[in-house]
Amino acid sequence: MKNIYKPIEATIEDIIVETPTIKTFVLKTSESFEFKTGQFVELTLPGIGEAPFTPSSDPNVKEKLDVTMMNAGRVTSLLHNIPKNTSLGIRGPYGKGYPLEQFEGKDVLIVGGGVGLAPLRSLILALFARIDKYNKVVLRYGARTPEDLLYKELIPRWSRKKKVDVFTTVDVGDSSWKGNVGLVTTILKDLPVDLKKAISVVCGPPIMMKFVTLKLLDLGFSPKDIYLSMEKNMSCGLGKCGHCRIGSYYVCRDGPVFTYDILKDIPDIWE
Amino acid sequence: MNIYYIETTKLDDFVSKLKKNHNVFSPYIKDPAAGEIDYFYKKSVDTEPLLFNTYRAVEPLKSFFTYPYEKVTEYFSAEKNITDILEKTIIFGVKSCDIAGHKIQDFVFLEGVGVDSLYRLRRENTIFISGDCTDFKEVCHCLAWDILPHPLLGFDLNLSPLNEGYLAEVGSIKGEELIQLGKEYFVQAKEIQISARKTKRDNLIERLKKHLLPQGLVLKDAVQKLVREGYNLDTWHNFMLTCVECGGCNLICDTCHCFLLADKKEDQINLKLKVWDSCLYANYARVAGGANPLKTRTQRLRNRFMKKFDFFVDNLGMPACCGCGRCIEVCPGKIDIREVLKDLAKKVTVKA
Repeated sequence: MKNIYKPIEATIEDIIVETPTIKTFVLKTSESFEFKTGQFVELTLPGIGEAPFTPSSDPNVKEKLDVTMMNAGRVTSLLHNIPKNTSLGIRGPYGKGYPLEQFEGKDVLIVGGGVGLAPLRSLILALFARIDKYNKVVLRYGARTPEDLLYKELIPRWSRKKKVDVFTTVDVGDSSWKGNVGLVTTILKDLPVDLKKAISVVCGPPIMMKFVTLKLLDLGFSPKDIYLSMEKNMSCGLGKCGHCRIGSYYVCRDGPVFTYDILKDIPDIWE
Repeated sequence: MNIYYIETTKLDDFVSKLKKNHNVFSPYIKDPAAGEIDYFYKKSVDTEPLLFNTYRAVEPLKSFFTYPYEKVTEYFSAEKNITDILEKTIIFGVKSCDIAGHKIQDFVFLEGVGVDSLYRLRRENTIFISGDCTDFKEVCHCLAWDILPHPLLGFDLNLSPLNEGYLAEVGSIKGEELIQLGKEYFVQAKEIQISARKTKRDNLIERLKKHLLPQGLVLKDAVQKLVREGYNLDTWHNFMLTCVECGGCNLICDTCHCFLLADKKEDQINLKLKVWDSCLYANYARVAGGANPLKTRTQRLRNRFMKKFDFFVDNLGMPACCGCGRCIEVCPGKIDIREVLKDLAKKVTVKA
């Protein structure tokens, strides 16, 4: 019988420096490993520790997967200092991911904050792969400073695509920054979406998700049309270890993506 | 299911026979002079006579199936999977509350996204020989959760003391197989014995009710609504004041199941470890970067109750408390789960 806690091997084929604190790891797994966009994995630094990440690559690409991670904790700080060709462990994928079929025919508004764009990149690439199914993709992305912006070369390319509308902002600009300065909520005005057929997807730090959600409600989005990626301390990924409970749900088992109507009556969801 | 009768001396013979090819655990008394006797499990050897515990043991039943610290797998090595080379195990002295609480463990580790193979292996290799409670501890309050002090389901064989022996009720195929193994020791129970068992059981329930009724306990059907409505009350803060975050309440709880996966290298071999965790520990919910949704002890104490009385009622249709009272006995801060719920009940009513 399969041991549910046992990782398979994944080799780091490439490491891309995205920002001073964020790197993308290109992983090749020893056995086939497929995921749906929005599902997450547990990566193990062998003998050291494990942490949850949502892949940032196109789920249609089967032979490799990318994980974009910030240097934020014990495991990620070590991962940020290892060379290419190191072996990691990978378990998963876990959770439910984004229900793409519910986005068909819709205006898809994607709002990202900081490293929260990583899982959204996977979603964006999944949408692009079948762009004829969606009415349009609108991306609003904010980072702290210009150098903290993720995927600096990709974003301009995305914005030139048909049916795609992109706008970025930074909290604090610098001499070279010609774009918008302000929190991501400041670029949620005059959105080119038709509220009657729009859904929104939000991923970022809890405080950002809170204020974006409030703004979206204010704009007229219905709670069931706001998809949120919840961050909790997922350890097992299997709904067994207990850590990621929100109300009567586990983020790992029932999420990590939840619509706001599921969460809105649960106390302290933004804590 | 079938009910048999076995004399005490014959039961001892039978158990001696079982010990030849089973690990047998049974209760013993560490300190016979204690005011209120505590039973502990130990591996029973040779021809030692069986001690019938009048109420549940100190250790939770889960400690036979998940361990405070254990290796669950090796990885990246020419490995053998870690599986216990398990002898068949028999646990005597399991009580109704243990069996009720164990439903939570089974739900967590045997159902859902994946099955914990080690847990399943241990579960399949273990036989429960439970027993009616014939007495109770001060902290016992199973009746509040609609759990009787004798098990109705979930055992393989259940013993009810009667005169110079026991009635043995079969609860599963494993139980029936045991009886077959010891055919020479058992006789079919008589109607009069079965009605005598009922009288004894009813008498104990009456005694327990007399103990519990004056306490004005919160009951099963009211508890979910109560913890939800009491979410913002000062109860959590007030009871938190004596909590020292030892995690004892979680670790000794028959239903608490939280664990952390950790990694370790031992002789160049990578190991995945599974370690019991406690939601009262400060870092329980902390994420990378330092954010912690359960920053305060008040939040963590409340989390324990929301998990037990809200989450599990929604997810399994039952609260994750079996009224065994182990958490009450273990708490150095004298936090009493009954009193926390009663305090909520008092204040929620006042508010309404």
